[in-house]
Amino acid sequence: MLSYQFDWSIITSGKYFEWLVSGLVLTLQISTVGIIFSFIIGLLIAVMRMSYFRPVRWFAHAYLEFFRNTPLLVQIFFWYFGSYKLLPTVANDWLNNNNFEFAAAVIALTIYTSAFIAEDIRSGVLSIPKEQLEAARSAGFSYLAAMQYIILPQAVRITVPPLVNQFLNLAKNSSLAMTIGVAELTYQARQVESYSFKGFEAFTAATLVYLVLSIIITALVHQYNVRILNPHRA
Amino acid sequence: MKKMATMLAAVAMFGLAGKAMAAAPADTLAEVKKKGVLVAGVKDSLPPFGYIDEKSRQIVGYDIDFVNAIARKLGVKVELKPVTSASRMPQLQEGHIDIIAATMTKNPERAKQIDFSHTYFFTGQKFIARKGTVKKVSDLEGKKIGTAKGSTSEQNVRRAIVTANVISFDDYPQAFLALQQGKVQAITTDEAILAGILAKAPNKSQFEIPAVQISDEPYGLGMRKGDKNFVDFVNRTLLEMEKSGETKKIFNKWFGPSTQFHLKRNFALTAD
Repeated sequence: MLSYQFDWSIITSGKYFEWLVSGLVLTLQISTVGIIFSFIIGLLIAVMRMSYFRPVRWFAHAYLEFFRNTPLLVQIFFWYFGSYKLLPTVANDWLNNNNFEFAAAVIALTIYTSAFIAEDIRSGVLSIPKEQLEAARSAGFSYLAAMQYIILPQAVRITVPPLVNQFLNLAKNSSLAMTIGVAELTYQARQVESYSFKGFEAFTAATLVYLVLSIIITALVHQYNVRILNPHRA
Repeated sequence: MKKMATMLAAVAMFGLAGKAMAAAPADTLAEVKKKGVLVAGVKDSLPPFGYIDEKSRQIVGYDIDFVNAIARKLGVKVELKPVTSASRMPQLQEGHIDIIAATMTKNPERAKQIDFSHTYFFTGQKFIARKGTVKKVSDLEGKKIGTAKGSTSEQNVRRAIVTANVISFDDYPQAFLALQQGKVQAITTDEAILAGILAKAPNKSQFEIPAVQISDEPYGLGMRKGDKNFVDFVNRTLLEMEKSGETKKIFNKWFGPSTQFHLKRNFALTAD
């Protein structure tokens, strides 16, 4: 029945192995930069979303709704192709000469994921009794200082499990960068397929790598949570 | 340990799914006659080879006319399935389609996996670039060049211009958009396809196809490996069409003087 000949050796050494490894390196770069910046921006947007100053709150709300409710693929195309019409020629020329494919993919992933992270952090903050903020304020903390020293440290601890989800999503969503020619892991797996016609082997390898990558991210955040954030619970 | 077991289970499932898919018939000719329908993998956004006609909303084109002629000879109906350069060979091998008629270049690596018909179209790989920017191949060294994933164009250009930064998009219209926006300095594929893209472009006067060729591209219809009856039948039909002048008529219909391409048929369909 099965006329397909499996040949695992082609992806464990040689040219195709190097392609897959270079793809993995790019996937790791996109994921790392994306995770760091989406967390920072997410934190910022969450704080803005709960601000007492209305225009700031509205801006954060609009940001959230816009980036949460449009497909990531469309956003990647927007940053890559759509930004051309909005930017001056000088900026376009500079971007086109400086690996804009990678930048556009990271920007899209970061902003998209930051919207989800902001909502997760906000729900963490809402779970902290509001009397704490009031107490902090009456003790002389400014709003930002109260957030920074009293509320967010607690909220982020509560938010760790949903944050892991967002980080995992970001790492896996990075495969969409291939649509604008970023040679990450999925792109390279496809590349191996079209040169060698060994699609099963290439994509099985890619699947395993994503699986291992996800497990590592989960384990790292879990360790951080247990060892550093909640040592008394361990 | 528990995680390890879960992981293994996931991998096992993946393997099973792969096995369940392979159910391609061994004798396509008999199978197609029995089903009464020939399923062909074609391009649907690549004028004039295969694209959706604005009026009829049907896929039409040079490739499609060949599929229709073969089906007519068989006395069966035609079902057209859009494929991409990357998906067409797996689709054929897994039995989702019976024949590939999708601007497919015959090359030795592919011929190890599938069988090709006689060459039914002949072209060469060239470039579209901004007017005056490319005069010879070396003008493209170190430049960004756009093409489509999984195509022979991608492999040829990497070989011909080693220093080029090749960026592969999902399809040629996207690659051309990147060219218009200056994200790549040229796009590359077979001349006939480039002519089709350029003819449809809104600002075509700014672009040209320079007289720079990096490879010969003979197109063949793709069929499953070792499917001898079907391959022989298709080849016989093609030769009959050449004799009756039908192949020439199809060429002129899509590329001849009355079209926007004004190409001359510089090849003949022969047993090769």
